[in-house]
Amino acid sequence: MDQINTRRQLETDLTELIRMLTRLGKMSEESLTRSVWALKNQNAAVAREIINRDDAIDDLAAELDMACMQFTARFQPLGEDLRAVSSIMHMAVDLERVGDYATNIAKAAIEVADKELMKPLIDIPRMVDILSEMLEKTLEALESKNEATAIRVFPLDDLIDDLEKQIMRELLLLMMERPQRIEQATLLLNVARTLERAGDHITNIAERVIYIITGKTVKASTYRRPKER
Amino acid sequence: MDKESVSMNRPQLIVSDLNLYYGDYKVLKNINMEIYGKTVTALIGPSGCGKSSFLRCLNRMNDFIAEARIEGQIYLDNTNIYSGDTDVIALRRRVGMVFQKPNPFPMSIYDNVAYGPRIHGVKNRDHLDEIVEQSLRGAALWAEVKDKLKTSGLGLSGGQQQRLCIARAIATEPDVLLMDEPTSALDPMATARIEELVRTLKERYTVIIVTHNMQQAARISDYTAFFLTGDLVEYGKTPKLFTSPEDKRTEDYITGRFG
Amino acid sequence: MNRRKLSNTFMTLLLWSSITTMVILLLSIIAFIFVNGVQALSWEFITEPPRENMTRGGISTPLIGTLQLVVVSMLFALPVGIATGLYLSEYSKKNKFTFLIRLAIRSLAGVPSVVFGLFGLSLFVILLGFGSSLLSAGLTLGCLALPLIVTASEQAFQAVPKDFREASYALGATKWQTIRKVVFPAASSTIITGAILSIGRVAGETAPIIFTGAAYFTPNVAQSLFDEVMALPYHIMVLATEGTDITLTRPIQYGTVLVLLALVLGMSAVGVMMRARLRQRGQ
Repeated sequence: MDQINTRRQLETDLTELIRMLTRLGKMSEESLTRSVWALKNQNAAVAREIINRDDAIDDLAAELDMACMQFTARFQPLGEDLRAVSSIMHMAVDLERVGDYATNIAKAAIEVADKELMKPLIDIPRMVDILSEMLEKTLEALESKNEATAIRVFPLDDLIDDLEKQIMRELLLLMMERPQRIEQATLLLNVARTLERAGDHITNIAERVIYIITGKTVKASTYRRPKER
Repeated sequence: MDKESVSMNRPQLIVSDLNLYYGDYKVLKNINMEIYGKTVTALIGPSGCGKSSFLRCLNRMNDFIAEARIEGQIYLDNTNIYSGDTDVIALRRRVGMVFQKPNPFPMSIYDNVAYGPRIHGVKNRDHLDEIVEQSLRGAALWAEVKDKLKTSGLGLSGGQQQRLCIARAIATEPDVLLMDEPTSALDPMATARIEELVRTLKERYTVIIVTHNMQQAARISDYTAFFLTGDLVEYGKTPKLFTSPEDKRTEDYITGRFG
Repeated sequence: MNRRKLSNTFMTLLLWSSITTMVILLLSIIAFIFVNGVQALSWEFITEPPRENMTRGGISTPLIGTLQLVVVSMLFALPVGIATGLYLSEYSKKNKFTFLIRLAIRSLAGVPSVVFGLFGLSLFVILLGFGSSLLSAGLTLGCLALPLIVTASEQAFQAVPKDFREASYALGATKWQTIRKVVFPAASSTIITGAILSIGRVAGETAPIIFTGAAYFTPNVAQSLFDEVMALPYHIMVLATEGTDITLTRPIQYGTVLVLLALVLGMSAVGVMMRARLRQRGQ
């Protein structure tokens, strides 16, 4: 029957779109994790690799965008299918931004590669570990259409914010003690802030996954610690 | 379409606990809905779900089916159209209908459009001329036929014939216009013209349209009602119903998981 | 040549030869009558009444008589037949009673015309006391035509698409308005065709009018409904059997046949052509 075949074709194509998105997610995650590694281990070569990798990420995002447009034109989707393809297009943008952030961190890594680190990096790697977990959970929730998994991402963003504040306090103290390290301190502060922004983007992605599954727009703040005034 | 203005339209038709039987078979089960004035409401659902039967309840065309039996009420502007003292002829003047297959009478274009007013007593030639022109304009057909009003309606193309049927239906100045899959027998160009026409028609009439084409329902309606084996599964504002419906059955239907 | 082609060719030849036989038969009849009758044809033939015991003169009286019979029979059969057809198509319910009525009407169409003649004799001539007259004969012929007209009308009304009726009702018309303004006009051409065909039939019948109103000879054309009439088919029979001088009357006889044939075939041809044109237009 015509209708059933179209449905099957639609599902095949949609699965492919999700697969592309997952691949994009893994690429961005890998770049982010490795950029922090390069920073911590002062490895300029790896950092340069990451910067070159960004083109591949951008290309994949563009390819995914085009594939979504073609899907829409072909199937004129409604309901969950429509939410899915529309959200995938947005999520691709978020993931591409995460890839850009990895590039920025890689650039910072190149900066400090030949200098002495003012302190061993502990919290920054911890941030990226949490981010990694957030992104993995989000992609898993998308694949398995599991709302609960996606919701678990939101509280993790609180931890990211906490870590960022902690890093800021620490670096400010260090900057006051040793003014000649202001330059590096600022650089590290920026890295922390970049990672915090990455966390926001990943939270957006989790929100979109929930929208695909339930059709409801949720605000992450519902599941997070209430903001202090 | 302004969200606020749509919800401010008063309900023109109120369907209350409607049950329809063909003999022993229950075609419609306990339908309750309010249809708002000067809006386009689409009725969707798989074949045999009862949407066309429901449409025909609204102008009592089901009366012609011997085994049909109704329970419940349908209020048109607060009057139950199924009460014992309803004037069915007057009802059908207020609730017009356009059918799936264009069916102009084998008469001239003029006589087709003038048919309704004539049977309701309009005799004055000038008055009829005026009604014919207004109706043909309202159906976006005037420009194409104004020089050949005396030629047979059957000489028009399919899309033009359907617009002629629309002109014929609005010539009695109804409040409500029922359309039963009006474009399913037409080519894409003609379909597009009728869809555009429907958008303008809702300024003057309350339009209720049965369609099996979901994209069409999404394009032109303000409200959509989804029927499934005689039940009204979901009824709500069109943008919401087609992006995130409440009921899983609606979701399955609009994504094509069953026909 | 293989077997399939062989049998195909054989069948084609067989069918062709049947058609040819039929055409030859028909043409021979017409030719025979034409050859024998054309010499009698003239303007006087049609306008002069028979004289000198039918050996001279024309056939104006029987010609007019036939026309009168047609008129009377149609004045009876058309309204009654069309109304019955209308009732059967639009008003009757699908039950055993209407099934029996339809069965009766279809069967009547096959009843031999002499039976109608005897029926007309009993009812119109004797029981109702009209006597042997134009009225009795015309009514009898009307009864003959009635099943044909009822069937043609009913089918004409049934052929009007349901769509038109629905559209009319949806506009707020009553049943009678719908019939009057949509169904009847749409069916009218088909009904007229049926009427023309039945006129052709009626004009050529002999048996129904023998006992009910046809006369061997009337000096004048019938002046009232209760007069007897001469009629073409009867006239032919008279000339062929009871003629006083067969050799003299033979040309007149064939001429009469030719005129009657022309009349009947002409009406049938018109009827069939109209029906064909309607079918084409209806597409």
